[in-house]
Amino acid sequence: MISIKNVTKNFSTVTALDDISLEINKKEIFGLLGPNGAGKSTLMNLLIGYLDADEGELVVAGEKVTRNNLESRKKIGLVPQSIALYDDISAQENLEIFGSFFGIRKNLLRAVIAENLNRVELYDRRKDKVKGFSGGMKRRLNIAASLLHDPEILLCDEPTVGVDPQSRNAIFDYLEKLNDEGKTIIYTTHYMEEAERLCSRIAIIDHGKIIAAGTLDELLLMLPYEQTIIITKNQLTEHKKDLFNKFGSLLNDQEKYELKPNEKLKLSEFYKTMEENGIGYNFIEVNKPSLEALFLHLTGRRLRD
Amino acid sequence: MKTVLQLIRKDYILFWHDKPAVSLTFIVPIFLIFLFGSIFSGVSNGPTGIDIAFMNNSDAKVAKKLESVLDTTQAFHLVREFRDDNGKMVPFDTNSIKDYIRKGSAVAALVIPKDAFTDTSMGLKLKFFYDPKNDMEMQMIEGILTQRVMTQMPGLFLTGMQHKAETFLGTDKGKSFNKKIAETVGKYFNVDTAKILHWASWHFADSTNIDSASSKSNFFSNLLQLDKEQLVGKEVSNPNATRSVGGWAMMFLLFTLTATSTSLFDENKSGVVLRILSSPVSRVHILWGKYLYNFSLGCIQLFVMFFVGYLLFKIDIFSNFFNLLLVIVAGALACTAFGMLLAAVSKTAAQANGLGTLLILTMSGIGGAWFPTFILPPFIQILSKFSLVYWAMEGFMNVLWRGSSTIEILPTVGVLIGIAAIINVFSIIRFKKGDLF
Repeated sequence: MISIKNVTKNFSTVTALDDISLEINKKEIFGLLGPNGAGKSTLMNLLIGYLDADEGELVVAGEKVTRNNLESRKKIGLVPQSIALYDDISAQENLEIFGSFFGIRKNLLRAVIAENLNRVELYDRRKDKVKGFSGGMKRRLNIAASLLHDPEILLCDEPTVGVDPQSRNAIFDYLEKLNDEGKTIIYTTHYMEEAERLCSRIAIIDHGKIIAAGTLDELLLMLPYEQTIIITKNQLTEHKKDLFNKFGSLLNDQEKYELKPNEKLKLSEFYKTMEENGIGYNFIEVNKPSLEALFLHLTGRRLRD
Repeated sequence: MKTVLQLIRKDYILFWHDKPAVSLTFIVPIFLIFLFGSIFSGVSNGPTGIDIAFMNNSDAKVAKKLESVLDTTQAFHLVREFRDDNGKMVPFDTNSIKDYIRKGSAVAALVIPKDAFTDTSMGLKLKFFYDPKNDMEMQMIEGILTQRVMTQMPGLFLTGMQHKAETFLGTDKGKSFNKKIAETVGKYFNVDTAKILHWASWHFADSTNIDSASSKSNFFSNLLQLDKEQLVGKEVSNPNATRSVGGWAMMFLLFTLTATSTSLFDENKSGVVLRILSSPVSRVHILWGKYLYNFSLGCIQLFVMFFVGYLLFKIDIFSNFFNLLLVIVAGALACTAFGMLLAAVSKTAAQANGLGTLLILTMSGIGGAWFPTFILPPFIQILSKFSLVYWAMEGFMNVLWRGSSTIEILPTVGVLIGIAAIINVFSIIRFKKGDLF
């Protein structure tokens, strides 16, 4: 469905994308995971033909993508990272404006707008100015504006930035529904949880390079351990932290510590040590490792660094 | 106190990095102070080089003297020839000098008729043709002309007074009266009596030409009789409103189109441009769309302003309606190009608005929207010809004031379209090199 071959893009002295190749299949939700500045948005801009690649080739639904090829854009809907809407006009008027660029007949466009507003649960607010909407409502309208021409492919460039968890879940549900209906979705994020929840395949991008790609399971197999141990943060003093170093490397997150167990870890010894140091079981979880851990393993940095 | 100082320092740092704010705080006021100061504080030494079409048909020496006085008057530049249909420079005659004014090549013409000095018993009789397209300018021209004649040619007074006495008392008694007066003045002021008595003949050597036929008319008014004839704008119902509407309309149009052009920055920043470009729309489409929107809005705004002028001030916009539309279109085109240029050369909306304010006020000031250009310093008068406000005002005045035909306004319209074309080419180059999109 989407073929990206050896694509390189430079901005002055910065290489935003460095010899990237990806194949994205029809009807999949493909995640592009990486920290800010990794090159995710640049790749999105290349896919919609906003930018031209310096080297390489991008093909979308059989159409070669360039700045001058407007045909390929009819097959893609872009959900920009920012809320790309006019604040001072109504939701309906916004959609009428953006829909008109695709040459949809007026009557049909009205029906399509009504349908999309209903789907994002904004039909009742269609006559209200966008500036009165909450962040979540704006985000939903931002998505609806990208679907008016019924594109085969939806590019979502961090579409949940600044959204509360409830609205975020609503957006995820909506995207999953769209995927069920047959749309191919590329989803960029720097939140591993989002990629893990939504995406059937994920590419991890850093400094303009794809450093890993595959299904979540395939990616996690790249880690040298199969489990990760999460310890609630307020249970560990500096002294106690040292106790865990013999079991693996301890990563400091905002609300917890994540232990990457070494190969010699024996859970019985681990629990015994915890008991001896007064750390209850209730504050410990043994999980599958996360993409965060993989990113750290591959780059030596955290995703949000 | 230290905290307050740190807060002050913070504000200065932010201010200094906000270039539009710096320019609006310092550069714009400095320029306006210079401009107004030049006009009202005498730095420019009054108007200079106002073109006055001139024709001297008199052989009288007083006429020669007047011509030389006017020639050395800084405020005036006497134009004695015009270019005929064959492109040759030929001296004016009575018809051609009037046509010269009617066409707007100069705002005033002075003719010294053959009988300038014999036609009156008191002083000079001159013919003055004028186009009061600018009331202030016309009043100043008349004032300077009168002042130059009165102060530089005192002999006219003396000759007139002597002649009046002879007419009133009879030739013999009058001559005797004049002689006694001259002797008394000569005695107390130690001046040669003959010189006083024959001042005019000594000064102009032809005082014998004075005719007594009109000596009954008012003495002072006869010293300088300006036989005035308004050649242009006689039918204009509201001269003051007609004169000013074009300049103000252009200034506000420039502000409007600057704002709409720089909205590209806001659309780009919000991601709307990216969204639009993700649909089958190219950058060229966006620029054309913005250009034509601005152009149409400009035309509508100008028309509405003139129509309001018609409703409120009875400005006659319909008797030369097609040509008014032509100038509106050309003016809107030039203003649109200006707005797009600002978007092309600036990096942010704030920068474009700051630069726009500076340029609009400058162009309006030097282009004649606020006050007539003739009172500006000479080098600014030259600069004003590069201002689209100047040419738009010329166009509107030609249409509304002079009632010019389509062919007559073509040069002005051509200049406006030329300005738009040059700016557009430059803008396109800048848009291609720039990073607005």
